[in-house]
Amino acid sequence: MDKQTEKPRLTKKELRQIWYRWGFTHLSSMSYEKLQAHAWAFSYLPFVEKYYKNAPDAKKRLLVRHSMFYNTEPQTGQIINGIVASMEEEIALGKDVPEELPINIKATLMGPLAGIGDSLIQGIIVPVLLSIAMGMATNGNPIGPIFYILAYGILGPLISYLSFFNGYRLGLNAIDNIIGDNVKRITDAFNVLGIMVVGGLAAGNIILNSQLEIPMGESIKPLQEVLDGIFPKILPLCMVLLAWWLISVKQMTATTVILILTAITSVGVVIGLF
Amino acid sequence: MEVSLFIPALFTGLFCYLGAIESPWLFGMSGGFYIVGRPLVAGLLVGLAFGNIQAGVMCGLAVQTVFIANLSTGGATNSEITYAAYGGIGLALATTQNPAIAVTLSVLLGQTFGLIFYNTRMALYSFWNNRAQQAAENGNSRGIVLNHLIYPQITTFLIRAVPIFLAIYYGANLVDWLLKNVPQVITHIISVLGGVLPALGIAMLMNIVIKSRIQFIFFFFGFVLLAFTEISMIALVFISALIAYLYFVANNKVAASNVPATNTNSGNTANEVFEDEDLF
Repeated sequence: MDKQTEKPRLTKKELRQIWYRWGFTHLSSMSYEKLQAHAWAFSYLPFVEKYYKNAPDAKKRLLVRHSMFYNTEPQTGQIINGIVASMEEEIALGKDVPEELPINIKATLMGPLAGIGDSLIQGIIVPVLLSIAMGMATNGNPIGPIFYILAYGILGPLISYLSFFNGYRLGLNAIDNIIGDNVKRITDAFNVLGIMVVGGLAAGNIILNSQLEIPMGESIKPLQEVLDGIFPKILPLCMVLLAWWLISVKQMTATTVILILTAITSVGVVIGLF
Repeated sequence: MEVSLFIPALFTGLFCYLGAIESPWLFGMSGGFYIVGRPLVAGLLVGLAFGNIQAGVMCGLAVQTVFIANLSTGGATNSEITYAAYGGIGLALATTQNPAIAVTLSVLLGQTFGLIFYNTRMALYSFWNNRAQQAAENGNSRGIVLNHLIYPQITTFLIRAVPIFLAIYYGANLVDWLLKNVPQVITHIISVLGGVLPALGIAMLMNIVIKSRIQFIFFFFGFVLLAFTEISMIALVFISALIAYLYFVANNKVAASNVPATNTNSGNTANEVFEDEDLF
């Protein structure tokens, strides 16, 4: 342990190595039991070479504490990797940091960050970029997918990089930033943005028209024309509210909902409604 | 036909592996699952493989609409998007090149073979996880590389690229035959269903972002803006950003004039955030 106090800190290059080793392989051995667990041990392999080359027991302890079940949103979640990297560095330098601390930090933060990260990435960024790209791709124009590749190709790694290095820089202080009040207000505001975009996605992507013709006074008019006059896209709205109700209130699985939607569509087509 | 199908089928299988959620080669999820794994991008790539970019992107666009809100939280997924995209678009391009067919095949493949293979793979990985755990306990760095990266990736390659290649190479004739013999009412149901199915993905997104019933007002606002005025999605994003900013400012004012209440608020935060773990 004496020798370790003289050891140098992590260089920028070594930090970047921890970042990209996780960035590439976070899910590469995911099972329901362990999910992202082993990516941690994998990302610390150069680290143990540097600090624990002559301390096999300390090396084993580090690898074991970084092989435990772990699951979060892996891009925004890099902030945890940054915080833990700053702690592991302190431990390796022989500072007064208990070895359980990284374990506790990971266990405490992975839940909240999965919540924030999933609604930010899967709920807002990806659908918004995709719907812009889809607008550009009408009639098979390849500029749409190319735009998406470039946009997310820059944004995804950028989020991951900034999260990691801010986490490392702030260390334990970052925790206030993650579960503090101010962040709650910012994520709430982003959430409002997300909900409105999802409303737009519903109006733009669900297509359902009625083929029925109904008598209107003297003449016979298509039902769809009447509906459009009152509330355009009322049928898609009903469908998405039904699907939401089945999933959110009735707690059904996606497969069940697909079967129900298929049944409704089939009956509707057979009786000539759709 | 068989010869001309070999190379495109091979590439489609390869892309299906690269776009998988567990594929590391394109900066993990960032370039794999979230880019190559998206059906819109799959359309472009499969279109390139088949030498028909326009038809590919049209199929990709149609399939993307259904999977606009594909979710993966904690390893559980509502549909296997990569098998769906590459199997469905690949088979459609090998046969009719009809986007509606691509959608139907994608949903079928994603919900059946996709989910079966996906869960098989998750189970197989437990075996490699055990060995990686042992390697960690023995301080064996090489064992971690092998059992975290190399062996699982070989497993995934076999279970993704190979079935997709076989499905396209040998399945194209079967799909062709089926399409020629299906009654007209079924094709009509399929094309209507292609328009309805996006409701599922969007409903799942709503389930994530809408945290209290009152927030439905924002959902309806977004819906009505697009339905009545037919503005573009980009315009909607900017209008939403303005509303979100106003919401933030208003929220800040409430918090500032109401300092003692902050503690209860942060308690709620923790609860709400932890509730999300139910999704795992």
